[in-house]
Formats: sequence, structure tokens, C-alpha cells
Amino acid sequence: MNLGSVPRLGRGCRLAEDNLQGWILLIPEGVLRLSGPGPHILQRCDGVRTVGQIVEELESVFPGAEAGVIATETTAFLEQLMERRVVIE
Amino acid sequence: MSPRPHSLIAEVTHRCPLHCVYCSNPREMQARAAELPAAEWARVFSEAAQLGVLHLHLTGGEPVSRQDLIELVSAGRAAGLYVNLITSGLGLNEDRLKALIAAGLDHVQLSFQDCEEEPANEFAGTRAHARKLELAKMIAKQPVGFTLNMVVHRGNLGRLKAMITMAEEFGVDRIEIANVQYYGWALANRDRLMPTRRQMEECVALVAAEQQRLKGKLRIDFVPPDYYARYPKACMGGWGNGLLLVDPAGRVLPCHAAGVIPGLTFDNVQQRPLAWIWEESPAFLRFRGEEWMKDPCRSCDRRAQDFGGCRCQAMLLTGDAAAADPVCTLAPGRKVVDAILAAVNSSEDPVRDWVYRIDPV
Repeated sequence: MNLGSVPRLGRGCRLAEDNLQGWILLIPEGVLRLSGPGPHILQRCDGVRTVGQIVEELESVFPGAEAGVIATETTAFLEQLMERRVVIE
Repeated sequence: MSPRPHSLIAEVTHRCPLHCVYCSNPREMQARAAELPAAEWARVFSEAAQLGVLHLHLTGGEPVSRQDLIELVSAGRAAGLYVNLITSGLGLNEDRLKALIAAGLDHVQLSFQDCEEEPANEFAGTRAHARKLELAKMIAKQPVGFTLNMVVHRGNLGRLKAMITMAEEFGVDRIEIANVQYYGWALANRDRLMPTRRQMEECVALVAAEQQRLKGKLRIDFVPPDYYARYPKACMGGWGNGLLLVDPAGRVLPCHAAGVIPGLTFDNVQQRPLAWIWEESPAFLRFRGEEWMKDPCRSCDRRAQDFGGCRCQAMLLTGDAAAADPVCTLAPGRKVVDAILAAVNSSEDPVRDWVYRIDPV
């Protein structure tokens, strides 16, 4: 995964908003609870935007973040989800 | 306060074109005439969602045997649930699957009995394998999550590697390799299904290696054979703790097998709200929490991890549903399990004179 990758949600994975738990990601074997920038990242994993574009958009959602931090964290977050095939390229 | 359920297992029918020798349905099944209509299921799904349920597993029997399956899928999705279809595939075709996906189906879990036709048909008690091969290739092309479920046992563990390769070639997202659990029909066939110790050790090692090899490409979830374990499985994540099952006639159970426990009455969604059944019905309260536990569970450090194991297994093997699950090496009942394993491991390959699952009327 790099800034040019185009991520999207894996088949059978769906974002949803739960009354009690806020944003969650429904996946075949369970549920991932999302917090912080998580939902903002996954809402943009549409198979069109690149990771670079997602990072740029997030920088305007979280204007206080230090330069570079959003890129590093977004990539790490997506790589973790790719291992579970929740996110694919 | 009651825990929040996360999953609803909806056994929408007990009818099935397969007769699998390890079917998890109870030996006593609900007849077609007793099945809840779609409108009633829709109400159950919405009550479940209000209780906090997120996942709906449409199962059976064979859920595809319901002509109104599309209504069930739409109702589940309309209630906000993640809709999973657990199927043998029989009765499905591309048009019907596309309609189900359009109605909101999120995921299909397709069962395979083996990777070779002859034994697959033997275990299923019907000639289903060739059709399943076609269906798997078709499903893999659709925009829906796709898991292949393979139940493993003494008769097919020797082909596990080939079974995983078959799933890989279909292009599925996930494989579930589940050792048989001994309830219902499987219990009746236990002597023929229980793997040997050597098979068990080889299968655990093979799965670990394959998980590593397929990392990031294909996820493998594994259910080990619990008779060989040191500690029991956390059955259903605890009694009445996260899951509920509604049978075809609307009875609500804490698990597939709970009907084997004498003295429990299962309330029906046609008479009671689901929330009352979950929170207050005697059957759900019976083994919820830790109050019911005896020693060694009561004072065991693992009690919050495995909840004393499986109540149904305790009932079936020791005659006491409140006893520690006898697969636990700390349980007084372990000698029963050890005797079963000793017999399995000292015998030649058993004659496969199966007790086949029969279909309800």
C-alpha cells in the first residue's frame, strides 16, 4: 500500500452507523468498532480515490494534525485492514 | 442488566435437500406447516435489531427452500442487519442470487462436504457435489461476501490440503474449516466422524501453515475438535450472552442444541416479545452469568473466558447440564471423553454405516 493505491472495502464488508456504538464496520465474521479518523478514512475507500487523495481530504477534516502523521496513520490503518481482507486494492 | 445480543440465528426452515451425517439441527425437527410466515420473521428481525443485534444468519435446514427468501432478506436489511445466507446452494441459481443481492444480501456461506465427488455425496446423503462446484464458481463472480464452509472429520481430513486448494481456486474471500461438533445427527455418527489424535495434530499444523501461506489473500477460520482440547470452547460466547436462535416455528433458544436439556421451556416469538425472551425468560436466565456454576468452574480462573464450556455437551455426556463441560481436563466428567478418545484411537477405520439426517414432514 502506498499513496497511489486505490483502496476499497472488501466484498461482504459494509460501514454502518449504530445507535449505541457509533460508526461500525460490519464484516463476515463480526464487527469492527471505529473511532477517531477511522470512519472518515473508510467512507472514502470507494475504489476511486487514491490513498494520497484520502490523506489530503483528511488533512482538512483534522486541520490540527502534524504534517505527515495523517499519511502514516492512514496507511498503517489500511494495511492492517488489508491483512483481514476488509480493505482491498 | 442483560448483555446485548450481537447475532440472530434464524432457522427459517428445517427442510433440506441434503441429509448430512453431521447436521447441527435437532433430531426432532419442526414441520413445514409450523414455519413462521415472512411477515412474522420481519417483525422478529426488527425486534432483534432494537435489542442490539447486528448480524442476521439465515439458515435452516436449507433457507433457499423457502420460496419467500427474498422477502426475508429484504426484511433483515430493512431492519438494519448484516444479512448472511448459510446454504448448501441447492435451489440457488444466478438470477435468484442476483435478486437476493439486490434485496440486500451481504454474504453467502456455502457448504462443501469434501473436494471429491464420491465422498462428498456420501457425507451429504445426496448427489449435490457437482452442482455445488458450478455454484461456487458463479457465486465468486457476484458482488457479495463469500465464505466456503467445510466441515471436517475422520472421513475427509486426509484431503484437507486439497479442500483448501479447491476454495482458493474458486476465489472465495474466506474459508471456515470446522471440525464436527457432536450434537444432534453428528452425535449419532460420532464413532464414524471423530478424528484420530494423529489426524487432529496434522490438521492443526496444516491449518496454521496454510493461514500463513494465504495471509492477506484468503482468511481461514478454524474450529478445532474440542474433545481433544485441554479446556472447553466458550460455547456461543456464553449462554444468553451474545447469540439467540429462533427455530422455524418461532421458539427462541440460546443455541442449536439447547432442546436436549430437560426442564427448559423455550418461549415463542408468537406469544412473547423477543426482548422479554432475551432478558427475562427462564430458559435464557438458566445458565446466564455464573450463579449456576458448580466446582470446578465456580472457583476457576478461566470461568470468565470459557463460561464452563457447553451446557448441552455437559448434559449429553454427563447427564448434568450444570456440570463443567467434560472436555475440560479439570472436569470430573473428563474420563467420559478420554474413554471415547481411547476407543477412537485404538480402532481400525470404522465402517461408515451412517445415520442420515431425515427431512421433516
